[in-house]
Amino acid sequence: MPFLSKPLWQFRSLSAKLAVLYGILFAACLLIVAIVGQFVIWSNARTTVRAELSASGSVYDRLWALRAQSLGDTASVLARDFGFRSAIASGDRPTIESALANLGQRADVQQTFFVDTAGGMTGIGFPDLRRAVGAVPNSLTSGRKDAVIATTKGAFRLIVSPVLAPNEIGWVIFALPLDGHEMRALQHLSAIPLTATILHRQQGHWLGVAGSNTHDDPLDRFVAKAISGDTGPGALTLPNGYAFALAKPLAGPAGKPEAVLLLSYPLSAAMAGYRTMQIGILLAGGIGLVLVLLGSRWLATSIARPIAVLDAAARSLEEGNRTEVRIEGDDEVGRLAESFNRMSAGIVEREHRITHLAFHDTLTGLPNRTYFRQQLEAGLIRAHKRRERITILCLDLDGFKGVNDTLGHPVGDALLREIGETLSGIAGDGIVSRLGGDEFAIILDERGDADRPRALAQDILDALSRPVQVDGHQIATGVSIGIAVGPGDGVDADVLLKNADLALYRAKQDSRGVFRFFERSLDAAARKRRQLELDLREALQGGQFRLNFQPIFDLKKDRIGGFEALLRWEHPTRGNVPPVEFISVAENTGLIIAIGDWVMQEACRHAIAWPDDVRVAVNVSPLQFRNSGFANVIFQALSRSGLAANRLEIEITESVFLDGETMVVNLLHQLRAMGVRVALDDFGTGYSSLSYLRSFPFDKIKIDKSFINAVAEDPSAAAIVRAIVDLATALDMETTAEGVEDREQLAELRGQGCSSIQGYLFSRPIEGGAVVAMIAGPMSAVA
Amino acid sequence: MRMFLTAFTTAAASFLASVASAATVNIDVRGSDGKPLAGAVVMLDTSPKSSAPIKFDYAYEMAQQNIAFLPHVLIIPVGASVTFPNRDKVRHHVYSFSKAKKFDLKLYGKDETRAVVFDKVGVVALGCNIHDAMSGFVIAVDTPFAVQTDANGHATITGVPIGGVSVRVWHPMIHAADNVLTQPATVSAAGLATTYTIRGK
Repeated sequence: MPFLSKPLWQFRSLSAKLAVLYGILFAACLLIVAIVGQFVIWSNARTTVRAELSASGSVYDRLWALRAQSLGDTASVLARDFGFRSAIASGDRPTIESALANLGQRADVQQTFFVDTAGGMTGIGFPDLRRAVGAVPNSLTSGRKDAVIATTKGAFRLIVSPVLAPNEIGWVIFALPLDGHEMRALQHLSAIPLTATILHRQQGHWLGVAGSNTHDDPLDRFVAKAISGDTGPGALTLPNGYAFALAKPLAGPAGKPEAVLLLSYPLSAAMAGYRTMQIGILLAGGIGLVLVLLGSRWLATSIARPIAVLDAAARSLEEGNRTEVRIEGDDEVGRLAESFNRMSAGIVEREHRITHLAFHDTLTGLPNRTYFRQQLEAGLIRAHKRRERITILCLDLDGFKGVNDTLGHPVGDALLREIGETLSGIAGDGIVSRLGGDEFAIILDERGDADRPRALAQDILDALSRPVQVDGHQIATGVSIGIAVGPGDGVDADVLLKNADLALYRAKQDSRGVFRFFERSLDAAARKRRQLELDLREALQGGQFRLNFQPIFDLKKDRIGGFEALLRWEHPTRGNVPPVEFISVAENTGLIIAIGDWVMQEACRHAIAWPDDVRVAVNVSPLQFRNSGFANVIFQALSRSGLAANRLEIEITESVFLDGETMVVNLLHQLRAMGVRVALDDFGTGYSSLSYLRSFPFDKIKIDKSFINAVAEDPSAAAIVRAIVDLATALDMETTAEGVEDREQLAELRGQGCSSIQGYLFSRPIEGGAVVAMIAGPMSAVA
Repeated sequence: MRMFLTAFTTAAASFLASVASAATVNIDVRGSDGKPLAGAVVMLDTSPKSSAPIKFDYAYEMAQQNIAFLPHVLIIPVGASVTFPNRDKVRHHVYSFSKAKKFDLKLYGKDETRAVVFDKVGVVALGCNIHDAMSGFVIAVDTPFAVQTDANGHATITGVPIGGVSVRVWHPMIHAADNVLTQPATVSAAGLATTYTIRGK
């Protein structure tokens, strides 16, 4: 099983890591210092105590010698006393004894003896001592005057002074017990508080240490070493603790020591002098450690803090916030912070730019559709929470395409910018966006004034009803506005926007340059239209369309001159759907192009079966006409059917000219060049600009039936019709009167010189199959 | 006291065996260090003792001169009177605590003389109570065969009757009673030639 090696300590923060590492490092240093210090102290203490011991040993030696000298002198005084010698010579024991006692008193020596050359002894003492004293004169190495002996009652120092008369006749001997009293006297003379102890040999062991009655092997070894000549101080464990000690063998009579002076100095006493220093080191170490910890903490923090700040800043940046780091110092971290700030600023700036590009329209600088949608969704949520309303206004410029086509895109763009600025100026309380093309939209939050949308819409209409000055062009552009109010008109952005669009559609339909609020019925109508659209597509594919033909009767030739092809839609369930119901939908959805194509083909197909002097007239919608492939459609219909071009007559309305006169005229000339005839339909209604008649030589003008209806009764209508006919005649154009229903009308029109008539008087539209029969049949209507 | 006297006796041929009944004794005394011991007194006790009065051919005088006894060792026949002339400018207090003769010559001055009769055989150690360093010996003997060793530690004693003798050697360094060692010996017609080595401590 694989193990992931994990560091012993894992730190979440750099500062903790640094602090701990520094702390450990410094603590280790301090520990080493403390150990070294302790070692130095110990070694120093040892050296000092050794030196002191050695010195004290020397002092003791000297004191010892001085004492020996002093006692020897004292003894010598007696030994040399003439009277004493005289008493000895005369064997006067009482005198000798009294003299010894006297001397003992004088020298403060308890036990004094006189031993003569024959071994006789004077003086008082316990047997062991007496025996030892008696043996001393003979066993004492020559030249020495004192010796230390061990007795059952402890060690004694013997001072031997010969009695000379003048040759040696005996010895005065002082026996001084080396007891506590004597030792204390010695101790008081030392510079350091040594403990002086006399050890005496007993059964091969050295005894006499205070507090110990049994032998101690280390002590024995220590003393043995000292006796063997190594008189240096050493360490020793005594009953009262570890101590430095110096053993001084005290020469016995024959040189071999029977007792040893042990100078000892407890380690605790030796170290006592350094206690302050140790406490000092400990204290300094402790304070140092605390300072080091604080310092390293501070250091670590000061190093890590900027990094932590950078870390946090980087995170913050990652989450998309604009972050600045305060720059401290000009070290690496400072420079890093500087770089970070630059980077952060760069990122944020780019992000802003990207966001701006993503959410704004480059042309107008207004928010784009995406941003609009986001704002709308957010606004809807906000409105829902606050139980407020939110309103959107959808705007569409009227006839913008014309501007683009006639004045060029740069002008169109400038116009859009101008409109955008105008809208922003007016709708300062809303969010103005450009959804695309010439569509704008405004979001209005409810600000207490429920009438604000209406007022704003009116303001916009007013502002844009005035011509706009763009690049030296005066452009009169209107705008239509659809308004939807959420959440009533839609709880989500899509629905609300769709409904606003419906309202806009309605506004455009009703009359351009108005605003409309969304209503439920609009929605229903829209549904209906959508269904119609679907049905239309199906109809186109399923062959539900067919053509009916209404004859156009030529009054000059008194025969049928042609037929106008009329589109009929026989829907399986709807039944016969009148063109007025579906043509607008076909136009709005673009289906009109395909339908128009079909009509063109079908009309030509029918017409080829007719006599050569009978034409077919086909209505062309402006949308169809505007389509760039229109000329081609006609060409194909003609070539496919084999119909002569002059038998095809297309009927257009003046509205085709709205998209640009030049282009339309060019196309008309192109068609004319092919041989196709062109009729101007519905003349007299709409704009009815005479300039159109001048700009293109139409083959025929069809007079709108609204004039024809009243032509028999109303002189003014008759006057207009006459004027049109005269005008057409003057321009060498034929005229067709539409909607002729009775003979009076016919008579009037004939009288006025109208070229042809069309209407129920002559015939309703008939099935395509009935056309040939009608042509062949009697022309009863006119007759 | 352990003290040994080792005698290395050689039957040395004597060219001086002119007197049938007397012979010459040659004795060398050596200290414990083996070096010749000067100033030791060698005494031969014959048996029977000589009946003739003993007389030595020097003055029985123990002078105090230059803060010292002169001579250092004076051998006298027992019963002789010894004079103690003071030839120093200072006074002396000559005394003896020896068993052979205890006496005490109180302070006396220059050119004063005291006389002491030594009536017992033995070594009398002389001291001066004023000058501790002064030491002298008067050795009262009852034998004519008593001489001091010379600088070579040699003593020659002539006219010693042939036969057994008791050789006694005195010297202050000898640690024995009265600082005297006694050793029997036999004087042959050829005499006696022997060396005594003092074994000290």
